[in-house]
Amino acid sequence: MKKTNISRRTMLKGVGAATIGLPLLEEMLVSTASAAAKTDVPVRAFNVFFGLGIPSPLQTEGFDGVLEPLKPLGDKLLIMRNVDQVRCDESGINAHYDGAAGAFTAEPPDGEAKSGGPSIDQVIRESHYPKGLPKGMVSTLIGGTFFRRSRVGRYVHSYNMNGTVAATIQEKPRDLFDRVFGYISLGGDDTDVRRRRLKRSVLDSVVDDYKFYTGANSPLGAASKSRVADHLDRIREFEQRAFALKNTAEGAPGLPPRSNVAHGGQADPGGEGIDMKLEDLRTEWRLMADLYALAIQMDRVRFGSLTFLAAGERLRVTGDYKYDGRLIYKFNDEKDLRKSGSGGCSHEWWHQFNEKKKNEQLRAHAHMKMQEVAYFLSRLDDADSKEANGKSILENSLITISTESGDGRHNDVKRELSGIFHAITGANDRFKTGQIMDIGAEGLDVYNTMLGAFGTKKRMGPEDRESNRIEKILA
Amino acid sequence: MNQTFTKFGKLYSLIFTVAVLALQTPTRLTAQEKSATRGAAGLQVLYDFSEQKGNIIHDRSGVGAPLNLKIENEKGVRRTHGALQITGKTLILTDKAASRLSEAIKRSGEVSIEAWVTPSDLGLSGPARMVTISKDSSQRNITLGQDKDKFDVRLRTTKTTTNGTPSTSTPSKAVKKKLTHLVYTRQRSGQARLYVNGKRTVDKKVAGTLENWNPTFRLALGNELSKDRPWKGTFHLVAVYSRALTPKQVQVNFRAGPDAKTTGGPAIASKSPQEEFFETKVAEVLVNHCFECHDSASKKGKLDLSRKLTALAGGESGKVIVPGKSSESLLWEQITSGDMPPAGTPLTDKEKSILKKWIDTGAVYSTERIDPVLYAHGVGDSTLWVQRLTVPEYIETVRSTVGVDIEKEARALLPPDLRADGFSNTAYNLNVDLKHVNAYSQLAEKIVSKMDVLKFAARFSKSKKLSTDDTMREFVESMGAWIFRGPLDGREERTYSGIATTVASAGGDYEEAVSFIIEAMLQSPRFIYRIESQQGDGSQWPVDGYELASRMSYIIWGGPPDQKLLNAAKAGDLYDLENVEKQIQRMLEDPRAIEHSTMFITEWLNLGQLDDLSPSAKRFPNWEAALADDMREETLAFFKDVVWDQKRPLADLMNAQVTYATPRLAKHYGLKPKGEGLERYDVSSVPFRGGLMTQGSILTVGGDDASMVTRGLYVLHGVLRGTVNDPPPGLDTTPVPSKPGLSHRGSAEKRISNVSCGGCHKKFEPLAFGLEKFDGLGTFRNNDEHGNVLREDGEILFPGEAKPVKYATSAELMNLLAGSERVQKSLTWKVTQFALGRPLVAADAQTIEKIHKSAQKEGGTYAALITSIVMSDLVQMTKTEQAE
Repeated sequence: MKKTNISRRTMLKGVGAATIGLPLLEEMLVSTASAAAKTDVPVRAFNVFFGLGIPSPLQTEGFDGVLEPLKPLGDKLLIMRNVDQVRCDESGINAHYDGAAGAFTAEPPDGEAKSGGPSIDQVIRESHYPKGLPKGMVSTLIGGTFFRRSRVGRYVHSYNMNGTVAATIQEKPRDLFDRVFGYISLGGDDTDVRRRRLKRSVLDSVVDDYKFYTGANSPLGAASKSRVADHLDRIREFEQRAFALKNTAEGAPGLPPRSNVAHGGQADPGGEGIDMKLEDLRTEWRLMADLYALAIQMDRVRFGSLTFLAAGERLRVTGDYKYDGRLIYKFNDEKDLRKSGSGGCSHEWWHQFNEKKKNEQLRAHAHMKMQEVAYFLSRLDDADSKEANGKSILENSLITISTESGDGRHNDVKRELSGIFHAITGANDRFKTGQIMDIGAEGLDVYNTMLGAFGTKKRMGPEDRESNRIEKILA
Repeated sequence: MNQTFTKFGKLYSLIFTVAVLALQTPTRLTAQEKSATRGAAGLQVLYDFSEQKGNIIHDRSGVGAPLNLKIENEKGVRRTHGALQITGKTLILTDKAASRLSEAIKRSGEVSIEAWVTPSDLGLSGPARMVTISKDSSQRNITLGQDKDKFDVRLRTTKTTTNGTPSTSTPSKAVKKKLTHLVYTRQRSGQARLYVNGKRTVDKKVAGTLENWNPTFRLALGNELSKDRPWKGTFHLVAVYSRALTPKQVQVNFRAGPDAKTTGGPAIASKSPQEEFFETKVAEVLVNHCFECHDSASKKGKLDLSRKLTALAGGESGKVIVPGKSSESLLWEQITSGDMPPAGTPLTDKEKSILKKWIDTGAVYSTERIDPVLYAHGVGDSTLWVQRLTVPEYIETVRSTVGVDIEKEARALLPPDLRADGFSNTAYNLNVDLKHVNAYSQLAEKIVSKMDVLKFAARFSKSKKLSTDDTMREFVESMGAWIFRGPLDGREERTYSGIATTVASAGGDYEEAVSFIIEAMLQSPRFIYRIESQQGDGSQWPVDGYELASRMSYIIWGGPPDQKLLNAAKAGDLYDLENVEKQIQRMLEDPRAIEHSTMFITEWLNLGQLDDLSPSAKRFPNWEAALADDMREETLAFFKDVVWDQKRPLADLMNAQVTYATPRLAKHYGLKPKGEGLERYDVSSVPFRGGLMTQGSILTVGGDDASMVTRGLYVLHGVLRGTVNDPPPGLDTTPVPSKPGLSHRGSAEKRISNVSCGGCHKKFEPLAFGLEKFDGLGTFRNNDEHGNVLREDGEILFPGEAKPVKYATSAELMNLLAGSERVQKSLTWKVTQFALGRPLVAADAQTIEKIHKSAQKEGGTYAALITSIVMSDLVQMTKTEQAE
């Protein structure tokens, strides 16, 4: 795995070499310094989402099964089983999508690009920062690595109170970096930034197209290719000038490298899935995790979500997966499944799940994702993440870990939607940790109990619904 | 092979020599016939089964990466030299997708499968697969099979099923347990034929195009990929072509037999190798070393090598070229002896070998006359450049595509296209700078902001769903096909529909998503450039229907195809030349054709120079800048009148007795002003006006001094396509001013009579003698400012002609120009160059000659010329590059 070492230390080291007085960097220093001076810690809430969930029978295995990578962080997590999410069922759509959309929103999706309600992180944000976040901070950071993109609910997991996406998702490490460190948002009004992101997306598509005509499969002859290559060079120059980082300084970290995985339209060839080398995928994930963690450590962001694959993701993964020095599995989905196209994707292991069988490949895939989720969480629990109260960011923040249906048989809605894996952190001693708990209650009640712990007045779900407080999760 | 062939040799009889077409069974070949070689135009794969062992059957085509076949079960076959008999269960298939083969066929729209086989079982059905490019029993590109006693071909087109049905079958009893030559051909027009032993047994139309061919399918012999349609019999030869073999080619291959060698290479030769050699090698040597003394004008020793008839006839010493025998050719003898050329640079060894080879291979002189201009700078660079839309094309394309007038903004933001080789649409010069990219980005946003996006989108989809799982992908496909002037592939659909998901993820709606997709498309290579497939085998390939549609529309309209033309391309109608001609006629009736033709005259005559006209105020105190605009308008209106209103031959532009002038310009010309704006003037009674050369837009090229050198060169290059060497280095080219007692004519005559200067100046200065009475701004006068009496008589030597022709007046000069075949051909060349957007090279000469003759036959009008150009190989075909 290609690892780019980005940490708060290196960032600050870079800052140290910079000229004093540059707005972005100065503010970052002040921000972290002021945070350190206070005895209390800021309210933060993030969601970590991973596509293709964990079938409920496997959740009962605790840290001996696919949850093994979470074990080192086990005392800082509350794993919740049997959270009833049947109310999120949307007729005609299987649980990949509505299961994902409902996690920590407790609502079925509202069409293609909206959620049925806000996500828990945004309710807390609204409650604790009604006038917006401190000046210069990114109000909500949504990032993630995903490929299947037909519906927003598959990969975006922070929604405003009206169900619209809370921010544009940054799917490339460079974009995420730029969003956090390259451009200063003036608080809640993100209009211009949003437009810039979309314009950049347009340009990225254009670049992809020009790249094709200069590549090996171009229909053009040599001279024509060179002309288009010139054009592409000019576009890149234009890109640099139009979207170059602002307010950065000499000595500050440069843009992360361009990633090797597909983005934009190329990432989703009509739901047919794409080939994916495990190393490329994990390299991308790690880079995103590092950057996102850095953004939190630098107190550039307090709310948002990070996605590890879309719901119902379709990838044909190849590569050796090792954990803790041992080979867990040699991925080759297409070969193992003996099918090409969508039929050769890892998604099929979920469709084939049978609790009476070994489910070897599904386990390996799920285990691998847990390792990546654990990596991100551990970045918030390292030496750079210690806060004034002596705890880590991981311990002080609410981090909800959600997923989608882990039962791909799609023949029992209740079983599927009530078996979706849930986990949360302690949120500065608000919730119990170090347990794998059988909840046996509706998700909406669990979420509203969490909101109550944060002192928010707003509750999720229908206003006239009688709420049940789930005491057992509270610390 | 020989063993097997001998086995069936008894079947061959002398019947063959009586009537090939009547053959039902192969006959013994005569020695001469047997030595015949197979044609290979468009050959893509060839299997001759020459190996007797192993499980590999090598592709002997020599085209691209070989597509070898692998025998899955060797026990199911028996191999002998030149034959492979299927005796049991097996499958013979390529080890990878036959992408090269399928792509070439898809691209050309034509296909032929040729097979020499000996069936061994008349009960096979399914049909049993003999040759197939397919995936399984229901998905194929093409399959040649046997269904009991019929041969059957399934071809996938946009009008047939993915299984290639309905199929094309021979009549019953076509299959015999004998050595059989089978050929299936399918032309772009849809005409499909099946030949059995040289005889055409089926001739029908299989509609649709081959655009839906799947390049991932493999090529297999003897069975279906799913192994459930086995064929029994013996293969002697299998070949697949990306061309429809002509009946004549089928005959040649049938006559050649199954063990004949294949020659001719993969290229489809529009010219013979000898013709190609003459045009690209020989002519250049003759021009550079012989023409100084032996062209039509000099003709020393009464030998004129510049013309086919005179060159082959010889001079006063008799024949100098004996085709096939250099040793008996005086030309070769004189060269080897060193007597020729008597002066100047001697021939290099390479040049000598070119001439020797030329004579020894038959001295093919492929053109009536060698035009030296073609070789003035070598044989010309025929590098293939993708064409970026010029600024006017961009403006028109935006207007036609999304209905937005962006002219003002585009002209302000986009850098102007620079002239190269006389035109500003020359592809190699249409480069891109940062400013272009910035402009395209800004313009895309401005264009979208001027659009009613939802109304535009509604043309392509009733749905307003953002999801790519629903209708977004189909919407992008539909809208993209319009904006990109042809269908999108999966990659493009994904790229652009991906923008919708990005917008959706940012909380945007359908309208915003469509807006950004359009914005991206307007900056994409397929919008900014006229993308064509240039990959192939290095030969000339037909362009596909959409490429042809774009070529037609940009040539005729300077803009994109309209819906009718795209529909025709989609339906495959443009593979039929009759349909192409109908489309051309329709398009020529559209006002856009007129507007675009004025671009030609603007470019050809470089009317843009009028923008920079700034004559000396002291010398021309009455000049006003608006006159320059009037002059441009005069020429454009005159052009429209002659070409479109009167529909006269293009050469009549030289002497048509009409012009257009504003009152201001009329006064400047000495005409009696009328009306208030641009008015038509009959100038038949004005002896010194009439024709392009008498208009201010042309007469001003000589500058304030009305330089004879500049004007003469303008006529030589622009009107006569003549050549002249550059002035010697260090020569002071400052015009010699006239003075009392010495007019410009006087100075010119001095130069012409000068030994050092005259050789070249006599070629072009006399061309301007007839214009001396027009001053630097086109005003007619009889005396210059010094009182010198001016003349208008002179003589003109048309390039290639032996003697100059005298003229007494300016009007006579114009009549000579209008009546000159050289001028007519020059116009053909200029219009063709403008149409193609590239300089013409020696290799184009033969085709342009055909274009010219065809256009002249139809009256020599602009419409006739455009029609001939579009119908020619220069537009219907494209050069390809061999894939790496």
